[in-house]
Order: sequence, then structure tokens, then C-alpha cells
Amino acid sequence: MSTIQDFSGYNPTWCPGCGDWGIGIAIKQALIQLDLNPSSVAAVFGIGCSGNMNDFLNAYAIHSLHGRALPNAIGIKLANHKMPVIAIVGDGDCYGEGGNHLLHACRGNHDITIIVHDNGVYGLTTGQSAPTAQKGFKSKSTPTGILETPINPLALSITSGATFVAQSFAGDVLHTISMIKAGMQHKGFSIINILQPCVTFNKINTYQYYLQRVYKLDENYKKDDFKTAVQKSLEINEEKFPLGIIYQVEKPSYTDQLPQLKENTLVDKKRFTDFDIITKLFI
Amino acid sequence: MDFTWLIGGEAGFGIMTTGVVFSKIATRSGYHIFDYVEYPSLIRGGHNAYEVHVSEALVSHLSPTIDILVCLNKETYEKHKSRLTSSSLVVFDQDEFEISEDIKKIVVPFKKILSDLKGQPIMKNTIALGASVGLLGGDVNELIRIISEQFAKKGDEVINFNKLFVQAGFDEVKKNYSNNILNYLIKKPGEVKLVLTGNDAFALGSVIADCRVYSAYPMTPSSTVLTDLAAWQEKVGMVTRHAEDEISVINTAIGSSFAGVRCAVGTSGGGFALMVESISLAGITEIPIVVFIAQRPGPATGMPTWTEQGDLLFSVFSGHGEFQKIVLAPGDNEEMIKLTAKAYNLADIYQLPVIVMSDMYLSESHKSVSKKFVDDFIANYKINRGKLINKITNDKSQITIESQSSNIKNNNYLRYKITEDGISPRLIPGTPGYFYQANSYEHVEDGHTTEEAQPRIDQVDKRARKWVTYLNHDFCAPKVYGEIDKSETVFVSWGSTKGIVLQAQKLLKTKGIDSAFIHFNHIYPLDKEKITELLNQNKKYILIENNSWGQFGKLLTMETGIEMKNKILRYDGRPITAEEIVGKMLNIKSQITNKS
Repeated sequence: MSTIQDFSGYNPTWCPGCGDWGIGIAIKQALIQLDLNPSSVAAVFGIGCSGNMNDFLNAYAIHSLHGRALPNAIGIKLANHKMPVIAIVGDGDCYGEGGNHLLHACRGNHDITIIVHDNGVYGLTTGQSAPTAQKGFKSKSTPTGILETPINPLALSITSGATFVAQSFAGDVLHTISMIKAGMQHKGFSIINILQPCVTFNKINTYQYYLQRVYKLDENYKKDDFKTAVQKSLEINEEKFPLGIIYQVEKPSYTDQLPQLKENTLVDKKRFTDFDIITKLFI
Repeated sequence: MDFTWLIGGEAGFGIMTTGVVFSKIATRSGYHIFDYVEYPSLIRGGHNAYEVHVSEALVSHLSPTIDILVCLNKETYEKHKSRLTSSSLVVFDQDEFEISEDIKKIVVPFKKILSDLKGQPIMKNTIALGASVGLLGGDVNELIRIISEQFAKKGDEVINFNKLFVQAGFDEVKKNYSNNILNYLIKKPGEVKLVLTGNDAFALGSVIADCRVYSAYPMTPSSTVLTDLAAWQEKVGMVTRHAEDEISVINTAIGSSFAGVRCAVGTSGGGFALMVESISLAGITEIPIVVFIAQRPGPATGMPTWTEQGDLLFSVFSGHGEFQKIVLAPGDNEEMIKLTAKAYNLADIYQLPVIVMSDMYLSESHKSVSKKFVDDFIANYKINRGKLINKITNDKSQITIESQSSNIKNNNYLRYKITEDGISPRLIPGTPGYFYQANSYEHVEDGHTTEEAQPRIDQVDKRARKWVTYLNHDFCAPKVYGEIDKSETVFVSWGSTKGIVLQAQKLLKTKGIDSAFIHFNHIYPLDKEKITELLNQNKKYILIENNSWGQFGKLLTMETGIEMKNKILRYDGRPITAEEIVGKMLNIKSQITNKS
């Protein structure tokens, strides 16, 4: 079994008190509890404070471009569908710059796990408002308050075809571990939106703010019912934040549906050499 | 024997498929072909024209004249009559329109046959094929065989129904025009040939090179690479992904390549514009990727279904920051197969993006390629994955693998190791006992981010050495056709114009003029020493390009300091022609003579 040290690279450079610390620990714990090690998992990082985890987490990894982690993760999965693949991204990264990729990754039910650091701001570029910021949020890029209404990442994912949609809070590391584990164990597209206070640039969505507004879904919640899940996800529009698995259904993943991957992964299969079956098409 | 057959009609009525069938009849009868299609960017209503140049010799150019013009509507006649000669035959239906000019008319009652046999309008093509084969003295049974193969999935009923129309067209000309039969397609022995477009050749080259992921978003004129590979993917065991946009396309491929399989993407200029940020990502992360660009006239949406070589400098300089890439531009379909397969080796050896450039003219024209050539190439092609540490063969000589979990903390693998040739060993993710990150930030040797001065310099210099190694080992100097010493005029071109310039040389030869031709297919980076000696002689160099800037000329000036003063450029969306080159060249010659 791996240890925290096995997964630990450089010491994190996040601000003291940043929600990323809790998420960083939760990811490592989840990987350990799933009996993985740095050689057996692939991680793709976006660009932002969350993406800076690239240097702090040991794994086979791509530190990608801003917004592009999801297609990289899909590509890894196509080539080696037996390897667990996670994408560690921010809200600006995944809901702004890479928003289109999220919609289509959901549609494809690609068997990857998306871990979103949702803090409502662009921390690494000093606090401009992000797509999840509440309407009216004042920031350097929106000095009179943001005009747009926030993205609802839960409703967006559920209605786009994601088969596992969860939410957790960076202040509750144990719960976050359990959500990441459940997402990675889910066969198909999983996304965990993690509410994460940015102590430096977001003075609204603080630990205090979330502690007053988060609540855990009770045991009787029907997570496999589409309409219930959509209804539940809309609560965040009223600043109520359900924590837990909002939606989960079993459907064949993208790679499950490719007959050419039945026998083996692309990376391990033998080279195709029966060229006559192709050339004869042109005679 | 050398002739051109052209069929034209309204878009959406099967002209394209009919053209390919004609090309296949010609190659199965023992001849060579080169074909070209003109069509507007719409599905219905415009004019489509498909011409096939058939010859006993190898061909890779179009002819200025048309010998058999098959008009499925009046517009075809009006648009193409200027290319007719006194001996050309024009096939049309007098019930549909009249031709007043004094030409050799072959009247085929398409309308009546359709109505008698209760056919659909699209079956006019089938009648036209039968009539064409009859007129050319070809074998109607060969035509029926091709049609049967084409409709095999639709069953005997459809096949037999189509046969009726082939036979009707064939019988019509045999009966009424026995004196006009040309006997150009009499079956003769010849080697087996493949009828390939440049896009087919890229797809085939990719399969030969063991490409396992092809990702694309449809964009004319590159789309048929995607449709070819999507159709073959289950057979060859690869995966094609039609992603949501070109940004996702290239990042999917980068992910798959990181995971250890050979990958390519394909697009045209506009789609490539969306990809360039990630070309830069592949550059710094040193992830191999093959990029196929089938150019069309821009800017923006431009002229989607026409041809141009207007994206050369854009491709060469694509991507922000300074990083290494290799650009290749095949001159014809044989070169497309060879250079595509080579591109995958180069991408793996040098761990960088390799761009293969085509254009609509090369991508969508069919050319007959000897099957033996393809078979021999396949037999001799060797996959070279460079310094990839292959976990299957356990060739881990570059690093020491220690036992799994316990030694992970001692991960001593340096993905971006400083080496003399600039290339660092690349490990397939999943290899136990190790890990690394492919980092879009500048990094130290083990992949961790750095902003320090010296590691930055070390990595920039390391990456730069890959080009030096490439120029020494894998760059190919341009091929010279004809003899520079014996020629006053030396043509210089790149990519798809090759066959056209070769034909121009032949035409000049018939006028007693010797010429030489320097054709580039290894476009960038260029080896200054090797090319300067070809370009700095006391000759009249003429640059030939299908664009308005003379982009390759600018690149040559940048790399060698030599300026291409004489240029023949065409940028109206049509391919340059051999006759145009000869005419303009003689004009340039007389201007120079007048000056001196």
C-alpha cells in the first residue's frame, strides 16, 4: 500500500488557509485508499492554483494548458482504458475556458474523474471573477459587480449526460475523500464539484459562508432519479449547497462501446499488419 | 494514348462517385489516371465537374483539353466548351437541351431511358458511364463488376437494376455511333493499381505507420481522412474520435500520445488555427504528434472547396514561443504514403509535432498508384519509436527499473534529461516504479516546474539540438529533376505542384528547351548548406506556388538570404497548370532578354 509520502512531490505553495490544501490531501488519501500508486494513475492538471498541484502530487501526469485538461484525459483513456485517469481543474479552467469540453466529455460518458476546485475566482491571476461567481460579485475585472448569472455545474453536467455528479466542501476532507473515491470507482464520466474558499481573493464565499449553507444529502435521497437530481442541483441557485452524490446512474462508458478495445488496450495491442484488406478497397 | 474525360452536372446527383468509378475502370483496364473535381461548398444546386486524365504513362497533372465531355446538364457544356478540340466528343441528351455549335455530338437519350426503365434521376450517371465505356471501346463487364462491388451491400436487386442502365447507355452508343468509337480503353495487361486521393494516401500511410488514435473535426478538404479511418478503425484496431472542436481534437491526440500510442489529427487552415496553442504544448512537453493540414484558400472561411498553398508560413511558424517542429509537404500520392509514414517516425524520434501539408488539389484528386509500390513500401517500412522505453519489450536500457512500490520515492527517471542530441528517453505511463509529468511550464530535467534562469537555458538549448540532430540524420535535400548544369531555367516549387512542373518540363523539352526543377518536400527546418549550393548558381530561378505571396520563396530568403526574383503564382483557387507555367516562363525569359 502506498503512503502519503509516495504521492508527495514538492511542498505546496498555496496560501495558508486555502481550500486547495484540503483537496490536495483528499486526493492523495483517495488514491491510497483505492490501492493506487504514482505509477498506476494518470492525472491531468489545468492551469490555475489548482493546476499547480502538478508539482505537489506524484503521478504520471500532464500539466496541460488552461481549459484543455479534459480532452487530454480523454486521450489518455482512449489509449489505455485500464488506467484510472483524473483531471484536476479549476472553475475558470473547466467551466470557462474549457466549458465546451465539459459538455462533450459528459455526453461521451468518458470514464474519467473530474475534480473541480470551485472558488468563484481566478486566484492565480489575482482574483478576477470566475463563471461560478454569484451575480453582482465585485472583482478587479468586474468592479461594479458581475453581470452574468453563475454557471450551475451540477445541473449542467447532469443534463449533458454525466453519469456521476457529486459535490463536496474543501473544509470537510473526509467527505471529499469519499466523493473522490466514489467518483473514481464509478464506471463512466464522474465530476466532483468541490466548494473551495479562496482566502485571499474571495471575501464572500468564505469557510463561514459555506459552513452556514452546506448540508449533506440524507440516506433516502434517490440519486439515480434524473428529475430529482436536476431539482436538487438547482438549489445552489438559491445559495443552498447539497453535499454528496447528486446523481449516479450506470451506463456503458465510451471505451466500453468500442469493439476494438474489447481484447486489449490500444497501447498494449499488437500492430495491425493485414494491409491487403485496406488496399483492396482502392483497386 | 492519352485522353481526358469530363463529366458535369448538378451538385447532389452523384457526379463524384461516378468519377471514381470511371477512374477505376481505366486503372483496371491497364491505364494510369489522375483526376480532379470541382464543386461548390453546398450539397445541392451548384455545378459539379469531375475530370479524369487517362494515360498509358504515369500521370499526375491535368490536360488543357477535353476529349470526351459528358454533359448531364447544359451548364456543363457552357462551362467547359472552351476546352474542346475539333476531335472532342460531346455526350448529351437532345431532349434536355440543344447544342448549336458544330461539334461532334453523341446524343444519348438519358431522359427517355430513365422513363422507359423507370429509373431515378441519379441513374443518369449509370447510363453515362455505360455510354462512356462504349464510346471508349472499354469492357462493359468490368464496369458492371465495379458497380456490383459498389452496391454489394444493397443486394442483387439493386445491382441488377443498375446493370440495366449501364447496358442501355453502352448499347445506345454501340448502336448509333459505331464510327465514333475511340478504342482508348481497350483492356491491356498492366500491374494492379490503387486509385487513391491524397487523403486516402495519408490514411493508408497512417495505418502502415501504426497510428492508433486519429482525432478530427470535419473540415473540407481534410474530412475524408476521418471518414476513411472511421470506416477502418474496427478492422485495424485503432480509435477515431470526432471531437467537439479542433482544440479538443489535438488535445485528445496529445493525451493518447502521452499514454504511448501513435496519434494524428487532420484539418484545414481554419481548424489548424484553433489547434496552434496546443502545437506549442506538444512542443514544450515534447509529445509526438502528426498533424495533417489540407489547405484551402483563406482567410477565414475563404473558398472551402478550392485549392491554395496559402498556409505554409502559418504552419511553419505556428504556435507561441520558440520550439521545434518539422514540416513536410509531399508532392504526390506516392510521396504522401512515404512521408506520412516517415512523419510518425520523425515525431517519435524527435518528440515534437510533425506537420504534413497537403491542399485540396492533392487531397481530393485521385492518382493511380502501383500496388507493388505500396506493398514494397510496406515490406521495407520500419517503425522507429526513437527513445521510447517500451514496456512491452522491456527495453529499459535507458533507466534502471527497480521493484515497484518500495522504490517510488527514489524515482530517478528524468523525462527531460539533458542529452547531446537533444532527445530524452520517453517512458510509457503505467511503467511500474516510475512516474513523471509532461509539463507545459518550463521545467527541470525531472519535469517539475522551474522559473530559474539556468534550467530554462538548458531546456531551450536541449530542445534546439533536436533540429541539429534532425538536419544531420533525417532531413532530405530537395530532389532535382533535369540537370541544373545544362539548364538556363531552374524551377523551384514545393508540395503538390510537383506533377504540374514536371509536365511543364516535358512541354519545354518538346520546344527544345532544357530546364531543371528543384522540388522541396522537407520544408522546415531547412539545411542552409545543402540548399544554398542548389540555389546560388548563375541560373534563372523561377518560383512556382499556388498562393499570392510566394510564401516558400520568403522562407527560402529567410533561411538562406537568397531572393526568388521570378515568380509564377496562382491564387484564384484553381491549381496552376503546366501550360500556364510554360507561357509565363517564356514571357519572363523574353523580359530578361530585353533588359540585357
